[in-house]
Amino acid sequence: MSEHLLEVTNLGVQFATYGGEVKAVRGVDFYVDKGETLAIVGESGCGKSVTVQSLMGLIPMPPGKITSGSATLNGKEILGLPPKQANRFRGVEIGMIFQDPMTSLNPTMTIGDQISETLMVHRGFSYREAFTRSIELLERTRIPEASRRAKQYPFEFSGGMLQRAMIAQSLACNPAILIADEPTTALDVTIQAQILELMAELQRTEEMSIILITHDLAVVARMADRVAVMYAGQIVETGTVDEIFYESAHPYTVGLKEAMPSNRVSRDKALMPILGSPPDLFSPPKGCGYYARCPHAMKVCKHNLPPSFPISDTEHVARCWLQHEDAPKSDHITQAGR
Amino acid sequence: MLYYILKRLAAGVITVWFIATATFIAMHSVPGDPLMNDKAVSAEIRKNLERKYGLDRPVHEQYFLFLGNMLKGDFGISFTQQNRKVNDIIRDHFPVSATLGVLAILIASTGGVLWGALTAIYRNRLPDIIIMFLVILGISVPSFVFAALGQLLLVNINKLVGYSLIPVAGWGTIWHMLMPSLVLGLGTMALLTRLMRSSMLEVVNEDYIKTARAKGLSPTRIFFRHQLRNAILPVVTVLGPQIAAITTGGFVVELVFAIPGLGRYFVQAVQQLDYTVIMGTTVFYGAFLVFMVIVVDILYGFIDPRVRLQ
Amino acid sequence: MTDVLTRESRLNEDDFAPAQTSESVEQISRPSLSYWQDAWIRLKKNKRALISLYIIIGLALFTLAGPLLWRVDPALQDLNQISQSPSMPKQAIVVGPYQRWRGVTIEGFPAEPDEYLDTIPAPTGLHTYDDPTTQSVRLVWDPVTGAGGYNVYRNQRKPETINDLGLPLGGTLAGNEVSYEDRLNLERKTYYYSIVPTDGFDESSQYAILKVTPKLAITRDDALTRGLIDTADNVAFGDTINLEFHPFGTDYLGRDMLARLMQGARVSLFIGIVAPFLYVLFGIMYGGFAGYFGGNFDQLLMRFADFVVALPFLLFMILFKIAFGIGPGESGVFPMLIALVLLGWPATARLVRGQVLQIREQGYIQAARLLGATHHYLVIRHIIPNTMGVILVTLTFAVPSAIFTEAFLSFIGMGVAPPTPSWGSMCNEGVKTMLSHPHELFFPAFFISVTVLAFNLLGDGLTEALDSRLRSRD
Repeated sequence: MSEHLLEVTNLGVQFATYGGEVKAVRGVDFYVDKGETLAIVGESGCGKSVTVQSLMGLIPMPPGKITSGSATLNGKEILGLPPKQANRFRGVEIGMIFQDPMTSLNPTMTIGDQISETLMVHRGFSYREAFTRSIELLERTRIPEASRRAKQYPFEFSGGMLQRAMIAQSLACNPAILIADEPTTALDVTIQAQILELMAELQRTEEMSIILITHDLAVVARMADRVAVMYAGQIVETGTVDEIFYESAHPYTVGLKEAMPSNRVSRDKALMPILGSPPDLFSPPKGCGYYARCPHAMKVCKHNLPPSFPISDTEHVARCWLQHEDAPKSDHITQAGR
Repeated sequence: MLYYILKRLAAGVITVWFIATATFIAMHSVPGDPLMNDKAVSAEIRKNLERKYGLDRPVHEQYFLFLGNMLKGDFGISFTQQNRKVNDIIRDHFPVSATLGVLAILIASTGGVLWGALTAIYRNRLPDIIIMFLVILGISVPSFVFAALGQLLLVNINKLVGYSLIPVAGWGTIWHMLMPSLVLGLGTMALLTRLMRSSMLEVVNEDYIKTARAKGLSPTRIFFRHQLRNAILPVVTVLGPQIAAITTGGFVVELVFAIPGLGRYFVQAVQQLDYTVIMGTTVFYGAFLVFMVIVVDILYGFIDPRVRLQ
Repeated sequence: MTDVLTRESRLNEDDFAPAQTSESVEQISRPSLSYWQDAWIRLKKNKRALISLYIIIGLALFTLAGPLLWRVDPALQDLNQISQSPSMPKQAIVVGPYQRWRGVTIEGFPAEPDEYLDTIPAPTGLHTYDDPTTQSVRLVWDPVTGAGGYNVYRNQRKPETINDLGLPLGGTLAGNEVSYEDRLNLERKTYYYSIVPTDGFDESSQYAILKVTPKLAITRDDALTRGLIDTADNVAFGDTINLEFHPFGTDYLGRDMLARLMQGARVSLFIGIVAPFLYVLFGIMYGGFAGYFGGNFDQLLMRFADFVVALPFLLFMILFKIAFGIGPGESGVFPMLIALVLLGWPATARLVRGQVLQIREQGYIQAARLLGATHHYLVIRHIIPNTMGVILVTLTFAVPSAIFTEAFLSFIGMGVAPPTPSWGSMCNEGVKTMLSHPHELFFPAFFISVTVLAFNLLGDGLTEALDSRLRSRD
């Protein structure tokens, strides 16, 4: 079991709200191997951020609650640890960067101090050592004039620079895994490319794994080795990046793909939105979560949760009744349906 | 930063001028003239007095004379105590009020930050509920009630131990200052506690706190290094107006505890219609408060880099 | 997993037939509510705010309807019941006018002691001559051999030692004068009288104690003039009649606290509600003009507002009092009102200006302009309704601060002065007798606190109900 670097099985998370329990994550399994990039894709509110935040122990509890599952890092359980034990891997073996760099750094501390802090806490560095190392880290993330910049405050940085600083900070202890929660969503398109390039480069030099959370398939295509598509708190399809893009086996994956703008000139192919909205997670449907929006919906889908069907002899798996041997075979699943 | 300080100081000077002018207008719109209340004043003495205080000149001349004297830092001579300069009165009594005020603001701000942080940690649990109940009391009960209760408490403590452990009134030792400054700071402390609590709860949900946790920092370190400092910022911004509230609120406490401060002297001067003292003290207080607000603003600049560096 | 598999094996062909999914996934599930309807519903859910609202309504009734129900003149002095604690209705016995008592002198007993004893024994047979009343307590005792006089003490608790006898009342200067009449501020309490014999100069170490509880007495003439009885004909001496009832007690001049609290409420709430209403109104106009017209006009107006804010508030409240020619000791409700309005408006003006500036840039204002809306229409239809929430909240919070200001100034003797009662001036009077009669301070202070508390909690509730964005930092 533990040949993977990080392995998550049957993770379930829910939140207590005034309206009742929101089942945000409902039995998620995935793994990450050394040096690879796993992309978790899905629309807003599908539970992808909650999944990784619960791994890091960042879910506020209460109202949050991990109801089931386990996560092992190098064979050791990391779910539901008390803060003291969790801090042995947080920031050390797993680093994390967030969506909005503008608000994710402490506005009243210098960038250098914030990076140094991690080093002083985990590596026992003196302040001076830590600060010198912080400047190196900033240099490594291509921040010009790093030694001057280290003494500046977050509000003196641009968004792209801040995200670089965030990356520098998360790399401070050479983590085995970097979790990037929508790292480019809040940035300009040109800056996005730079940040992604930086991450890819650092991944090669540092030999680390990346879990990339995004809703942007273009980012996925560019960065990911493997992809997990999430919908309504479940992973509906996993596979290598090529399998997901060229042999999509779940109608939702297809829907995502067709809703993505491309620069290929084609007259007849307009952007296809996915109609409707995700199901209410206060009382998630018994059957397939995508049933109400699925153009291929069958009677079986309504009340029966689809199991994971292997698509090929590789690890390409989809939770969709269309993959059942008795299901009507169609050559091509499209969003438009029949 | 220097430019910022200079700008604030310049604005402060204009504000003080406005306060002085407003004081002058208020005092000169008094029906009759200041000497009317002196009963047995012969025409001759009256003439002399008028000349002495410049009351025989036209109003605009009086105004410029007044401004000129203010600029020189000369507030004139008391009406009721002919041999006493207003400057001397301020010099003698203001340090007492200032000590009281400084102690009160210290108690209020440390208490407010402490209790506010505590309630935020124990949100919706017993300590929070108890403290917030006391805070609501502190905001709703007038300061003179606290002063009276404080004095009553001292009387009872002294009765209990059988001798005068803590003096009930007067001024001099640290023991005299204890209860009055506590009483004076109580209302502000309640206000700051409330502010600190909501500010703390806002900061807890900030993204950078999540980042700090993802960095693997201990909850204690996050609390002190990240949460507290950012939560204090809005508390510091209201400190300026609160200093004003405490300074003038000192009147009551000085009255109840028989403290020889400037506030009590001011009230006395109003009762005796001692015009020069009233004008002098008002302008002095006004200037002092304007100065304090500037000091707090500069202090804020040092805590918040966003203000300092822009 | 096995569960799914077993169910899967039961699947038939029909299961894989296309299903009809509903197209309209989104629908409006809530009825549409106006801004104020929504706010009212949210306010009703807030228990603290709702209770506060009831308290405020109760206070309004207390102030307006109270004096109609409790028809007691707040200025009438009840000298029989000065500084009474709150209690049930009291009864008193009717007595005749005071008549001098000549006392008791024992004939044949030596006035001067024949010999000086080391210790003179305590007198025996200490008793009251007639029924003790608050008119007088008359004590008689048996003469003691060796006494050349007697000292009389009175205490409100039982004396433990000779040093604990209490208030020295006086005494007699002869061994055969064995009576004493006490008429000193008698109240309906229990007293302990001690008689200490003296040899003419020094006191003995022996003493006798008598516990006396005088009855409340009122002379018939007094009862007549105060309207407690209609005629003197059918009331005999010794009858009991009901005295005026003071549910909240009386103050140091014997005035009814409840009636004074009601009259005081008029002054305090008048200032507390009318002043904020006026200055908020002025602030709205000032800030509204500044914000709506903007530019240099706005700059000029707001600079002036900044200056007014910088004036030390309480000092200028006092200065205005003098400027209006109100001498110390004179009551100045209207000057205080005007001073509050003159100094209070800038906060509202700033707030409203900020709001107006913000709203002015909103898309719907631009849209309305494009559709040809006039200035007049924009202000009436869009700007005023959208600032109402903030204004209401400001007004609610302005009330407690105005009440505080009135109380503060009256307390230091710079506001409403006696005999006009206001809660603040009642506190001022009450604090003087705080040690012996705490209720005189407690009641007005309690009313101030409850009023301020209610308005504060209501303000909090309104803030939450109207808009979470309104939650300001001060």
